[in-house]
Amino acid sequence: MKREDYTLRGWLMSLVVVVGVICLGLIPPFEVFGLRTERVDILSALRPAEVAIDDAIAEMEVIDSEVARANLDSMLLATPKPEPAKVEERDEELKWSVENGSKRGADGERGRKLHSSEIEITKSNIVAIEDFDTLPNGKFHNFIEKLALGEGVRIAVMGDSFVEGDIVTSDLRDILQRSYGGRGVGFVSCDIPFTTVRTTVKRDAKGWTSYSIMKHKSVPETLRDKFFASGYISEGGAGATVTWRTVDKFATLDSCTHADILLVARDSSIVELTIINEHDTLKREMNIAKSDRLRQIEIDMPMKSLKLKVVSGKILCYGASLEGNGGGVIVDNFSVRSNNGHAIYNMNKSICNDADNIFGYDLVVLQYGLNIMQPGQRHFTKYKEQLATMIDYAKAYFPNAAIMVLGVSDRWIKDEEQGTYVPIGSVDAMTEYQRAAAEECGVAFWNTSEAMAALGGMPAFVANGWAASDYTHINFAGGKRIAQALANALHNEVYNLLYEQELSEESAKQMRVQREREIAERNTQILEQREAIINNIISIDTTSIEQPDAIAEGIAEDIQEGNGEGNEISEDVANIASEDISEDTASEVVIETAENEVVVENESHKNSDTLIDSDSIA
Amino acid sequence: MEYFDFGGGAWERMLSLLGEGPISLVSGLFLMLFVLFGAGYLILRSNQRLRTLYVVLFSLYFYFKLSGIYLLLLLFTALSDYIIGKRIYRRKEQGQRCRGWLALSVVINVGILAYFTATNFFVDSINAIYGDGTLDWEAVVKPAGVSFFVFQSLAYVIDISRGTIKPLKHLSDYIFLLSFFPKVMCGPLVRAKDFIPQIEAERLVVERKDLGRAVKLLVTGLIKYAVIAKIVGSQFVQPAFDGSLGDSGVVALMAVYGFTLQIYCDFSGISDIAVGIALLMGFRLPDNFDAPYKSATITEFWRRWHISLSSWLRDYLYISLGGNRKGSFRTYLNLFMTMFIGGLWHGVGLCYIIWGALHGLALALHKVWLKLIPNAKRFGEEMHSVWRLPATLLTFHIVAFGWLFFGSALMFPQSDMQVAGDILHRIAHNFSLADVVPMVQSSGFAIATICLGYVLHFLPKRYDRAMCNFTTRSGWLGGALILIVAIWLVMQCDAIMLAQSSDGAATMSALPMYANY
Repeated sequence: MKREDYTLRGWLMSLVVVVGVICLGLIPPFEVFGLRTERVDILSALRPAEVAIDDAIAEMEVIDSEVARANLDSMLLATPKPEPAKVEERDEELKWSVENGSKRGADGERGRKLHSSEIEITKSNIVAIEDFDTLPNGKFHNFIEKLALGEGVRIAVMGDSFVEGDIVTSDLRDILQRSYGGRGVGFVSCDIPFTTVRTTVKRDAKGWTSYSIMKHKSVPETLRDKFFASGYISEGGAGATVTWRTVDKFATLDSCTHADILLVARDSSIVELTIINEHDTLKREMNIAKSDRLRQIEIDMPMKSLKLKVVSGKILCYGASLEGNGGGVIVDNFSVRSNNGHAIYNMNKSICNDADNIFGYDLVVLQYGLNIMQPGQRHFTKYKEQLATMIDYAKAYFPNAAIMVLGVSDRWIKDEEQGTYVPIGSVDAMTEYQRAAAEECGVAFWNTSEAMAALGGMPAFVANGWAASDYTHINFAGGKRIAQALANALHNEVYNLLYEQELSEESAKQMRVQREREIAERNTQILEQREAIINNIISIDTTSIEQPDAIAEGIAEDIQEGNGEGNEISEDVANIASEDISEDTASEVVIETAENEVVVENESHKNSDTLIDSDSIA
Repeated sequence: MEYFDFGGGAWERMLSLLGEGPISLVSGLFLMLFVLFGAGYLILRSNQRLRTLYVVLFSLYFYFKLSGIYLLLLLFTALSDYIIGKRIYRRKEQGQRCRGWLALSVVINVGILAYFTATNFFVDSINAIYGDGTLDWEAVVKPAGVSFFVFQSLAYVIDISRGTIKPLKHLSDYIFLLSFFPKVMCGPLVRAKDFIPQIEAERLVVERKDLGRAVKLLVTGLIKYAVIAKIVGSQFVQPAFDGSLGDSGVVALMAVYGFTLQIYCDFSGISDIAVGIALLMGFRLPDNFDAPYKSATITEFWRRWHISLSSWLRDYLYISLGGNRKGSFRTYLNLFMTMFIGGLWHGVGLCYIIWGALHGLALALHKVWLKLIPNAKRFGEEMHSVWRLPATLLTFHIVAFGWLFFGSALMFPQSDMQVAGDILHRIAHNFSLADVVPMVQSSGFAIATICLGYVLHFLPKRYDRAMCNFTTRSGWLGGALILIVAIWLVMQCDAIMLAQSSDGAATMSALPMYANY
């Protein structure tokens, strides 16, 4: 007797399982025993990848802030000053630019001073940036001034998964580049040891061994101290390739004209670069001598994609920066998943300093703290110390950049009893401690949760689809709102700066006009009086009447000397002049009789339009 | 419908998924490939030649996807041992010596293993002694599954030389033996003796109880591998080992228990799934685990843990070393050496050496104990329950102590001794029961999973049989429903861990821990 065979039934079972599992994706999330289920999707690999976000516990060893501070002190002692321009000099052979190509800083990007009326600003609901720098003309002020003057600025945003995948920063970059010029996505890591997607650039890396600064312990010892602010390093031997491709998600990102690749040659290596632009494909090989220092491959030509291939040797690659030809704004996104900020302790100062010499950061934004908060926690004294230490690390790594701390974002948690979401209750306290740290270190601070509150807070974000239903993580849509608010705050600073300058220019101008008018009136009066006196008292003496210039000269001399010399009238004029001087303390009035010119010098304006023809006096 | 709209580029994404890249038995991709493969298998299974070729082609594709170019290594091993096997058999028939051919096979197979296991250690050591760059050698990455096919190939040749089996007639049959896709990644190791009859069988039959057993194995495998091991590993063991959960001794001890559970669930889970999948096609693979932590002695542990490997070590290493035929001292030494080499095979590093030496020493001491105490028992079943409980606890802790080193080496290959030392130091010097409450508060879910895992592990065997009966009675449609629920549960865990994990890797596509060896 033949045994009954169940093979077909087994296959039918598998088929039903596949169909069933696919259909599982149609089940919306529901709650069972108070646990919320997720929608499952076995076909997710076929869909365009979405950005995964997390708020996991940091996996790296937590360094005590005191230890970190001691490390920083010894680090600063060991390398007291970064040596600027050294990288540039040495890397002359690693430059590649096409002839007749546009030179850096020479394309049509904005390079002129703006007028306050050009700033598109929403005046309501501004959450202003608080700058705690007590020095006049501090770094943050300089950063804003550079923005206003249309000079190139570079911003590094160091954060956790909150900004991963270019959330917030992509829209911030877009707004700032549209307002102040600039092009390109900025820095993009070579390879990241897990799946993540940036919608603002395409990256395809093969053959690299990549490490995260968050898994510091599992990084080989020789590479442990090689991290840059990007938080990810990739080591590759012959055959390792990485391609960065521009995407046209935003108008300023579809192509770039300048690129820098940051790497360390662990061995004497040969790399091959391939550039694709609209017209053709260009290839070039470069030899890089073995060296422990950061090297820069600099490429100046229009490109849509840039490929690096290790032909031989061993390369430690950080990533590439895709930019325009100088000018405008570059925003680098340095998000490191699960980073509470501690990762900054494990970065390499000389690598950061070298990169800073190449990139020239003007502003470093620190966005951390979301993973720290416990429900209802009101005191973050220890965290404040840590944050202050992190700020000082950032200062050491990027000595010329202003620092801005972003306050923690709004977060709600589920009330298990009621099943509804309630505020976590520690956002305001955390914000206060973060602000206090910023104040202590004399850096800028921006209150993210206040900006979110102005938009309705986390419930409104979830309701509008701007945040995940965990009431913690915002998505791209939410990031856009926060970027708008932050850009608005920056616009506001630029606007205020320009407006103040314009106002002082304007008032100086008005004052000058007023003064000129007054002086002219007085002069006329004096002349009339003098005429009358001459007419009345000395009867008719034609010579003195026919030479009014000589009289004016006499008055001017009187003013200059500042005394009346017994002449009532000229004393009067001198009084008027000295009154003018004391009224306008900011301005210094110098009247030069020799050239017949009056120069009004304002401290902040030395422009030629302040020259006044002395004819008006006469 | 929106759900069935995959957006632009779905076709390209599918093609790239089918190209080289990791594939696990626990993945949506494998599930779909298996159903497609199954359709062809249904048609071809009645013809032995066609069936074998068809399965071989799919297995080779699966291995290519897993290990890329190292597919050639598998084919090379298969070819060389197939030829050597035939040679040895012919020489034996003619009454000639076959030691030379056997030695050649051993050199090739051990050479392959040694290259992938020891090169990095060798190069690093030379460079450490004579300065960086003395040896310019790229770091070697062991491709998944190499050990498994090498072991089976070696066993085949040794068996022929011992005269226990006859060589296979077709090369494709031999490639089938080595590359059969459910077991190619991490076992169980199959014996040519048991498997050849199945390959050569004209008709393979899946009986009703086989289908039920397959469903049961798939469900338990999924729960163990993709739920318990993943949660315990990512939520507790990894962060506890690397110190993210503080330096409490209680946490460190719990992490050792956690890893002990994790490695069992990970490895036995994927083995169960492999056995279940093979069963759906009518192939019977040997059981690989039998509730190993129930063991009351270390000897019993090795009868219940990774059975296919421990019996392989016994038959081909221990016996080749001389076994127990050369006096009691040599027996102890051979036991120790077998485990010592077994430890080295996992990786050349102090932690693996300690692990192997610990087990070797424990096995040898147990042998001495059995000799000295006339009333001593080899297995728990023979013991009185008064003795059995403490014996089980003792055995469990010896094994867990070994896993501490093994886990450190597995998770932190660069700083294994440091991590292991750190854990031991925390347990010894910073142990306070007051830390239990904060630990449960902060990692309650993972701790609960660990407890649940051990409870399930120590359930009597009759529950296992009851579950088999249940899945058998459910029929194929009921089985499908059970599997869908299990997969849904796995995907829920996956979603939770994806949201929480710090390396962001979806666990569904991650390879089992043992694929490293």
